[in-house]
Amino acid sequence: MTEWRAPLLAAFAVAAASLIASTLLFIRDGVTAPQATLAALGPSLLFGFIGLAARYPCKVLPLRSTDISRMLLTHGGAAGVASSAWILAWNAWLPFVSGPPAGASTLIGLGVVMYALAVTLHYLLIEIETSRAAEESALRYQMLAREAELKALKAQIDPHFLFNSLNAVASLCGSRPADARQMAQLLADFFRMTLRVGPLERISLAKEIELVSRYLAIEKVRFGQRLAVEVTIEDGAGDWLVPPLLLQPLMENAVRHGVASMVEGGTVKIAASVAQGMLRIEIENPADPDRDDAGGEMIGLQNARGRLSAISGGRASLRTSETAGRFLVEIEVPR
Amino acid sequence: MIRVVIVDDEPLARDVVREFLSADEEFEIVAECANGFEAVKSVSTHDPDLIFLDIQMPKLDGFEVLSLLDKTPTVVFVTAHDEFALRAFEVNAIDYLLKPFSEARFGEVLRRVKAQAGRRAEPATLASALRARPLQRIVMRGEDGTIEVVPASRVDYVEADDDRILIASAGRKLAKQQTIGELASELDPDRFVRIHRSYLLNIDRIEKLELYAKDSRIAILRDGTRLPVSRAGYTRLKELL
Repeated sequence: MTEWRAPLLAAFAVAAASLIASTLLFIRDGVTAPQATLAALGPSLLFGFIGLAARYPCKVLPLRSTDISRMLLTHGGAAGVASSAWILAWNAWLPFVSGPPAGASTLIGLGVVMYALAVTLHYLLIEIETSRAAEESALRYQMLAREAELKALKAQIDPHFLFNSLNAVASLCGSRPADARQMAQLLADFFRMTLRVGPLERISLAKEIELVSRYLAIEKVRFGQRLAVEVTIEDGAGDWLVPPLLLQPLMENAVRHGVASMVEGGTVKIAASVAQGMLRIEIENPADPDRDDAGGEMIGLQNARGRLSAISGGRASLRTSETAGRFLVEIEVPR
Repeated sequence: MIRVVIVDDEPLARDVVREFLSADEEFEIVAECANGFEAVKSVSTHDPDLIFLDIQMPKLDGFEVLSLLDKTPTVVFVTAHDEFALRAFEVNAIDYLLKPFSEARFGEVLRRVKAQAGRRAEPATLASALRARPLQRIVMRGEDGTIEVVPASRVDYVEADDDRILIASAGRKLAKQQTIGELASELDPDRFVRIHRSYLLNIDRIEKLELYAKDSRIAILRDGTRLPVSRAGYTRLKELL
C-alpha cells in the first residue's frame, strides 16, 4: 500500500489545483461559488487521473539518467495530450453548465501547467522515495556486514580461553608478577593481531602462523609442561595466501579437545609444504579416544571447512582422521 | 581444621586457590590433583572435608569424579564455564566459582563453608542429578580402586545383577553399583532400550529378532549374544526401530 501513497498524493494535489483554477474561471462568468465548484468537479476529476497517469512517464524517464531533449519531447507530448483531453472534457461538460469558462488558449495553458505540476510532484516524490530506500539498504548492508563479522569473530575464539587466561594472569600476579605482566602482554598482542587480520580477505601463511604461535604461547603458560609445539614450514609455503584465522580455531581444537584431554599432555604439530600447486597444511595432536566429544565434529572444524569451500569454489579441502590416539587435520589450498 | 583437596588440571589455577587459602589458618591443604583419576584416589585416601573441583579435566570431568566417590566432601566447583552452574547445584555443590575470581569472592566461599561445617551432602542425591544431555560415558570404580571409562557408544548391553549392573563392552563385563533403571534414564533413550526387566540394549548391536515362544522373543546381537526380549520390551523396541 505504501507504494501507492505517493502517486495518489500527487494526483490529489493536481485534482485540487485544477478544481480551484476551474472554479475561479467559472465565477468570472457570474455563477455562484458552490455552482462553479460543482461544475468544475467533473473535469478536475479527469485531471486527477491524468495527474496519476503522469507517474508512468516519470518512472520511465528517471530524472538523473535521462537527457533533457528526450525528457522535454516526452513530457511535452504528454502535456499536449493532457491538455487536449482537458479541452475535450470541458466540451463534453458544456451541456451541463452555462457556457464555456474561458478561451481555448487559456484552457490549453492551464492544462500544460497542471501537467507540469503533476510531473514536478512525481519527480519530487520519486526522488524522496529513492533516497530513503538507498539509506535503508545502506544501513541494512552495514548491519549485515557487522553481524557477519561479529559472528565470525565469536566463532573463531572461544571466550573460555580468555577467562582461563585471565585466571592464569590473576594467579601469576600473586607469585610471579613479571610473568603475569608478560602473560597480559601476550594476550593483548594476540587479540590485537586477531582484530587486525580478521577483516582482511587473505593473509600470508607466515602471518597466520605468527598469530597461532602467540595463541600457543598463551596456552603454554596455562598448561606448562603438558603442552609442546612443533612448527615446520617448508620453503615457499610461508608466502602462500590463506583466509585469516583459518588455523587458529583448529589450534584451539587441538589444545582443548586434544592435549587437554590427555593426563600427560602432548605435542601439537603443524607442518606446511607446497606440492603440485597446492599448499598442504597438517595439524596433528594427541587425543583421548574416550573423551567426551569423541565422534562429533567440532564447530571449529565445520567453520574452517565452510570457509575453505567458500574461497576456492570447492578446490580447497579439509580432511580429518583419527588413528591410535592421534587426531590429524589435512588441509589443501590452491594458489 | 578443615581439610582440603584442590583439583584442577592447570597448575596456575591450583596456585591461586592455594594462595587464597593460605590466608585462613582454619584450612589445611592435604592434596592437590591434576586430573580426575588422581582426584578420586586422593579423596578416597585423605577423606577431606572440602574439595575445590574443576569441571573440564582429562579422563574424568568434575561430575564424573563426584559420581565415583563413596563419601562426598563439601564441593566447590571452580570453572571458567558458567553453563554448568545448574548441574553443579543439583549435585549439592556449596558454591560455584567462576574463573577468574576475586579474593573477596573466595572469602565468601570460605565463610559459607565454615557455616556449613559438619554437614555433608548425601551421596545418594548426587547420582540422581538431572543431566542437560544424555550420558556420553559411563564411569565406574573397580574393587581394587581402578577407574574404568566406557563411552556410551561402545556399550553393547547392560545386565542387571542383584544390586549392581554389568556393562558389556567388546567382550568384557564391567560391574557398577547402580540400578539398571537409573542408568537407563541417564543414557540416550533413542539408542538404549530396556528390552527386558534385566536388560538394557544398545540398538546398534541388534542383528535380528527371533520368536522364541508365544509373546517372547530373543534378540541376537552382532557378536552372537542372545538376550531375552519381554513383551513390553518388544513394544518399546518396535517403537524405536
